[in-house]
Amino acid sequence: MEILMELLNADNITMKFGGLTAVSNFKLKISPGELVGLIGPNGAGKTTIFNMITGIYTPTINKIYFQDRDITGIKPDKIAKAGIARTFQNIRLLENLTVIDNVMIGFHLHLKSNLASAILKFPNYVREEESIYHKSIELLEKVELEKFKQEKAGSLPYGQQRKLEIVRALATGPKLLLLDEPAAGMNPQETKELMSFIQKIQNDFDLTIFLIEHDMKVVMGICRRILVMDYGVTIAEGNPAEIQNNPEVIKAYLGVDAIYA
Amino acid sequence: MKKQNEKIFTILALIVLGILVYLAENNLDAYKLRILNLSAIYVTLGVSLNLIYGFTGQFSLGHAGFMAIGAYVTTLLVLPPYYKEMIFILEPLVWPFTVMKAPFIVALLLSGLLSALVAILIGLPVLRLRGDYLGIATLGFAEIVRIIANNIPQVTNGALGVKGIPEFSNLWWTVGVAVFTIYIIKGLINSSFGRALMAIRENEIAAEVIGVSLTYHKVMSFAISAFFAGVAGGLFACLLTTIDPKAFMFVMTFNILIVVVLGGLGSITGTVFAAFLFNFSLEYLRPIEAGFNIGPIVIPSIPGLRMVTFSALLLIVILYMKNGLMGGIEFSWKGLARFIRKIFPNKKSSEGSVM
Amino acid sequence: MPLNLFLQNLANGLSLGSLYALIAIGYTMVYGILRLINFAHGEVFMLATYFLYYGFLIFNLPWWASVIIAIALTAITGMLSERIAYRPLRNAPRISVLISAIGVSFFLQNLAIVLFTGIPKSFHRPTFFKRIFQFGEIRIQSTLFASVIVSAIFLTILIYVVYRTKTGLAMRSISTDIETSRLMAVDVDKTISITFAIGSALAAVGGILWALRFPQLFPFMGMMPGLKAFIAAVVGGIGNIPGAMLGGLFLGMSEILFVAFLPALSGYRDAFIFAILILILLFKPDGILGKNVQEKV
Repeated sequence: MEILMELLNADNITMKFGGLTAVSNFKLKISPGELVGLIGPNGAGKTTIFNMITGIYTPTINKIYFQDRDITGIKPDKIAKAGIARTFQNIRLLENLTVIDNVMIGFHLHLKSNLASAILKFPNYVREEESIYHKSIELLEKVELEKFKQEKAGSLPYGQQRKLEIVRALATGPKLLLLDEPAAGMNPQETKELMSFIQKIQNDFDLTIFLIEHDMKVVMGICRRILVMDYGVTIAEGNPAEIQNNPEVIKAYLGVDAIYA
Repeated sequence: MKKQNEKIFTILALIVLGILVYLAENNLDAYKLRILNLSAIYVTLGVSLNLIYGFTGQFSLGHAGFMAIGAYVTTLLVLPPYYKEMIFILEPLVWPFTVMKAPFIVALLLSGLLSALVAILIGLPVLRLRGDYLGIATLGFAEIVRIIANNIPQVTNGALGVKGIPEFSNLWWTVGVAVFTIYIIKGLINSSFGRALMAIRENEIAAEVIGVSLTYHKVMSFAISAFFAGVAGGLFACLLTTIDPKAFMFVMTFNILIVVVLGGLGSITGTVFAAFLFNFSLEYLRPIEAGFNIGPIVIPSIPGLRMVTFSALLLIVILYMKNGLMGGIEFSWKGLARFIRKIFPNKKSSEGSVM
Repeated sequence: MPLNLFLQNLANGLSLGSLYALIAIGYTMVYGILRLINFAHGEVFMLATYFLYYGFLIFNLPWWASVIIAIALTAITGMLSERIAYRPLRNAPRISVLISAIGVSFFLQNLAIVLFTGIPKSFHRPTFFKRIFQFGEIRIQSTLFASVIVSAIFLTILIYVVYRTKTGLAMRSISTDIETSRLMAVDVDKTISITFAIGSALAAVGGILWALRFPQLFPFMGMMPGLKAFIAAVVGGIGNIPGAMLGGLFLGMSEILFVAFLPALSGYRDAFIFAILILILLFKPDGILGKNVQEKV
């Protein structure tokens, strides 16, 4: 079996909105099985990177490759089908749908039955529906959300909503999972659980994970490689130790004087 | 409740409905039948609008346009050729419409299909728009359809319209189509496709990122909605026996929108209820125009008072009952059973047995 | 087309365009602040013409008094409709307010039928407005001058108000961010009422000029001009006041020139306008002058 050397290759991409350059010359190669972190002050362009990878924005200059396939500018639903899933900074759940519906939709891209058999409830469709129902229950059990399956997603507490969003992303069967500030708004206990959860799903689902975070415990704790951005530019890349001692990084976060502190 | 039981109840209900239709057709006068028929057509119109708006979240104001297409297609197919020659006095009817003729059901199907086709053509570019912008774009489309109908007398007889359409629409047809529409659209909603539509309604960006193709789902939903609107248009033509472009002005779409909002967005039950309520209210408000007394105050006969009162009542519902009159509840045999159990609890069920 | 005829059409287009512009401004102001397409704006325009008719022709008030009263009553109608039908839905989903606006529109139309009957009324112009000026072979009604001059005056006043007064600042602030404006002690309710008053007053002016040019009043007369004025606002950039003016002129010109160059298709003049709308929405939804506001993901 051929092993891909790189799963994702962002090849020197730049994102401009009219006259404003949000991201310039971003280079990143992620190999299968990695857990890469992306940090930087607010407005550094981190979510923009995610948006480019998932097809919400098209890079103004240069291309992105996933499994050696050019995915630049491909629509988000096709990118999901290609194997990239993501969560959002400001959780985007389908609030008025039930918890289980939210997960079941994740399995849609694997459905084979056509519209007519869905409307008329042909046996092949019914079988598929049952199958994704059971798979969704399994996923929910992994995060202990199974008992809420018929509740409206919007009624869950914040921490549960975050877990649900991750589970929904897992339902799509991705190879690469992008997590946008998964620990936002969590207390230290929840954050610890999240960290082990992320490592667990990486193992269980054979995932490559790329995450944006502000919580340094999480980043330094689970990421083996970290990129730092500021004002749309990558200012450092390396392992946690290297990043913590990097003067540019300190300057970006704490200001020039902090280096001499 | 077992799925078997639900199916049995549904079949029983349909039989009861059939009996009611039979009795109505054979005993009621033309006036009452007209209101019932119109209500049933509004059910089809309302449920189809609910599909694209209530369930998929796309604010389409173009329904009258699809109705118009359906109405004219059915009319041209259902009228005998010699008759068409006679009534097209502005300009002679153009071939091949002169020779076309089809049975009612074929005409209705073709009306629906043509409307759906137009919906696909229009939908592909226009469904990229969101919210109000989609609303006015589809409104523009419906108006364009109406204006075209007004300006191609060689196909539609222009502003004169077409009279003397055979009155094929009776309760069997209108209620039958309504039941069929509900069956199909309910089947759609309670399926993976329906789930995808609702996902789009809730959060388009999230839906896309999970792998739901926005274009496919929106356009399909729009086309199916237009199909039923077209069929309803055909039924409408064969109920009123005359059609002209003025019947498909924005008022028509607004009426259907009222029915959907009144019934509650995303509630098929509500739409059925509201369709009948709407048509019956309009009729029963007629006496207001003949003049009446409130105690010592004499209110003279004022034409138009009916519509003013109606619009005012409507505004009140819109302002104060945001989830429609039904509050967004959907009918189900399970729900009915639960409701009955609440009113008539017996020892066994109050011990908390699972249904 | 001979030059004279072309210039004649141009003049007509300018005149019609300035009427659309006056009405369009009302739409754009309300949309800018509330993100609402005020469907009832066309009816407000219609009511103004009837107020003028009753003032001038039924109660025999002097011209200037009828005009002022008509404008005032229209402004009040606008403010009332906001107060009754839109303010309660301020926090409801946008679609609810839109439907409410459509409801108000229909209510006002039917009210007009009840109050004024559906029979068209003829508006007899005061003699001054019947004068026709002749420039070579071009005949220009005095109403044309009136439209253009009056529109220009009001636009200037409006731009002054919006960009140089505190009220105007409040309006611009609300259109950017309503919650923050509230926190900054902007009286949101009052400012919105004023916006509706101004928008309705301008529509009233448009209505009066319209009645002078097309002297037939009927309850549904506001629908098409209202819709077209709205399209003008979109073409110019919805939410943008100079855009509304530009859009109005552009649309008026286009409509007249369309009929002038393609008289065989004159039945399609309205369809042409709707086609412009759809094209603009598809290719340049922010209009000619509009700003590009992307949804943050």
